[in-house]
Amino acid sequence: MTTNILEVSGLKTYYKTRLKEKVFAVDGVDFVLEEGKTLGIAGESGCGKSTLALSLMGFYFPPLHYGSGSIQIHGRDIMKLSKEQLRTQISGREIAYIPQAAMNALNPTLRIIRFIEDIMKEHRPELTKKQVWDMAVERFETLNLSPKVLRSYPNELSGGMKQRTVIAISTILNPKVLIADEPTSALDVTSQKAVIKLMKDLLDKQFIRSLVFITHELPLLYHVTDDIMVMYAGEIVERGTAEQMIFDPLHPYTKKLMGSIIVPEEGMKGHKLAAIPGTPPNLKHVPAGCRFAERCSYAQDQCRENNVAVKEVDGRQYRCHFDTGTLKEWYANEQS
Amino acid sequence: MNAYAKYFVKKLFWYLVTLVIAVSLNFFLPRMIEGNPVAMIVSQMTKGMTDSDTIKRVYETFIQEFGVDKPLWQQFLIYVQNLFTGNLGTSFGLYPKKVTDILASAVPWTIGLQLPAILVGWILGNVLGAVAAYKKGVFDKVIFPVALFVNSIPFFTLAIIMLYVFALTLGWFPLSGGYDFQMIPQLSFEFIGSVIRHHTLPFLSIVLVTIGGQAIGMREMSIYELNADYVLYSKLLGIRDSRISRYVFRNAMLPQITGLALSIGTMVGGSLICEIVFSYPGIGTWLFTAIRQLDYPLISGCTLLIALSVLLANFTIDIIYGFIDPRIKASQMEDQ
Repeated sequence: MTTNILEVSGLKTYYKTRLKEKVFAVDGVDFVLEEGKTLGIAGESGCGKSTLALSLMGFYFPPLHYGSGSIQIHGRDIMKLSKEQLRTQISGREIAYIPQAAMNALNPTLRIIRFIEDIMKEHRPELTKKQVWDMAVERFETLNLSPKVLRSYPNELSGGMKQRTVIAISTILNPKVLIADEPTSALDVTSQKAVIKLMKDLLDKQFIRSLVFITHELPLLYHVTDDIMVMYAGEIVERGTAEQMIFDPLHPYTKKLMGSIIVPEEGMKGHKLAAIPGTPPNLKHVPAGCRFAERCSYAQDQCRENNVAVKEVDGRQYRCHFDTGTLKEWYANEQS
Repeated sequence: MNAYAKYFVKKLFWYLVTLVIAVSLNFFLPRMIEGNPVAMIVSQMTKGMTDSDTIKRVYETFIQEFGVDKPLWQQFLIYVQNLFTGNLGTSFGLYPKKVTDILASAVPWTIGLQLPAILVGWILGNVLGAVAAYKKGVFDKVIFPVALFVNSIPFFTLAIIMLYVFALTLGWFPLSGGYDFQMIPQLSFEFIGSVIRHHTLPFLSIVLVTIGGQAIGMREMSIYELNADYVLYSKLLGIRDSRISRYVFRNAMLPQITGLALSIGTMVGGSLICEIVFSYPGIGTWLFTAIRQLDYPLISGCTLLIALSVLLANFTIDIIYGFIDPRIKASQMEDQ
């Protein structure tokens, strides 16, 4: 019996514009992450992936605001905690975050070890400087990072090294969930590989129990995560195992998204790449019907008029008016 | 020799070159002003004299005494030779006072006026700027335009307005000078009281202008740093706000420290206009008098003092900065 480590239900968060309009970038998201599992979140730019990642941390900084819904870590709703409780009990200890631009995530005038000391002063005040040092050296060595990094200033590290250092710092308190927001997007392929290996190490050595990996590079997710969830216009449109999502997508958006990338696997030879025409809708004026209808080649009148709830079929979830049989038939026809 | 020592020697060399150029310009530029200083002085001294022979003899004595009969290059060599013995020559206008004596009597007034004013203005300005950036809202909306307004008033206008309102109209403060001129400088309460009363207006005018400039700079820097990625990242690791504020303001202070060091360096040359408007007995007023009388040695003496202190301040900043800011140190090393 696996336990749910992260349970998100009905989460709505919005950006407040200068004109006091509310733009819901995360609009009613539900998902569950089981202990020991990894989940990838994919989607185009502007679909709310990064906002979701930030929202999961429980802290909201203007212009991002919390709307409604709950985020439970091990059954404890962190949205019901005070800011101080959240800071001292959750942030960094239960759930940790790797920002999109890890390049600038470190204070330029602080040596790495000083920053780690500051984190420990908040969460493990009983440790002496020497103990923190020993602990940091041990952790860095375990993760194949040179302990020399600890004495460096951020500007003395290369981009890939900085990214891995940020990951090591984020996970130094062994958080249960790690949320990685596009940790590889600014890196070259070699550094990407090193980062991926580091994430796998963290999971193997049980420094973290679960991982939420956000990216727009789908092939990467296939190799890293158990499940993939696709977001569109602030909503989840489909979730399934990585295998299902890549080779047997249900939702037309997932289908198009997978059709626009290369997955270096067998059976993909001769596969034509196709871009998805159009752009995601402006979230200031959300369409009444299915949010993808405008760009969907299978859309019918009912799609444009009514939105649809997430359906669950054979343990898979998708958000579409049509049943799986119809969708698969269409896809099969298209192929031939 | 390590990289830092190399850097130090290289910098020192360039500063010496600059100093040589400055010394030459200090000597030649005043002597290129149209006019004959000796004629001006002699015509004043011989007022009422009718015997043209006597006048001629007085004139020739002065020409010889001042050494202006020799070719310019020879004068320059004598000037440089004297410099090495610390002799800046004899003033024309206040003959037979030595330039060094005049400067020695003026420097305490200038420093006594400028140093406290710059320090007070700098500290208040930075605190206001930082608070405005941190608190935002109404406080910022009031402080920022006011600072911008004060900073945009040309200094001489501000000084004259203050002089007109507080000294002339309200009569709260004396109009000019460093102390009541009928007093003899001594360590009595009366004399010190007089000095303070004369000090207040020029002091306040410099403080006001300094606050304006510093507050604007600090506000901009703080806003930039507050939005830096490391602020969000540190928060999400559970680091308390007070510690993050310390990161932010330390980083925002760095350029401000340069500003402080520079204004302390340029302090001796100081606020010429302020001293002239308030007829304050500092370097500025002497330089102004010297230029009007074409008192070459005194002009060169004042400008040499100013050049020296500016160079020294810049050099000190260049050297110290490497220790405070790791980024600058790195770029210094790369220069090699």
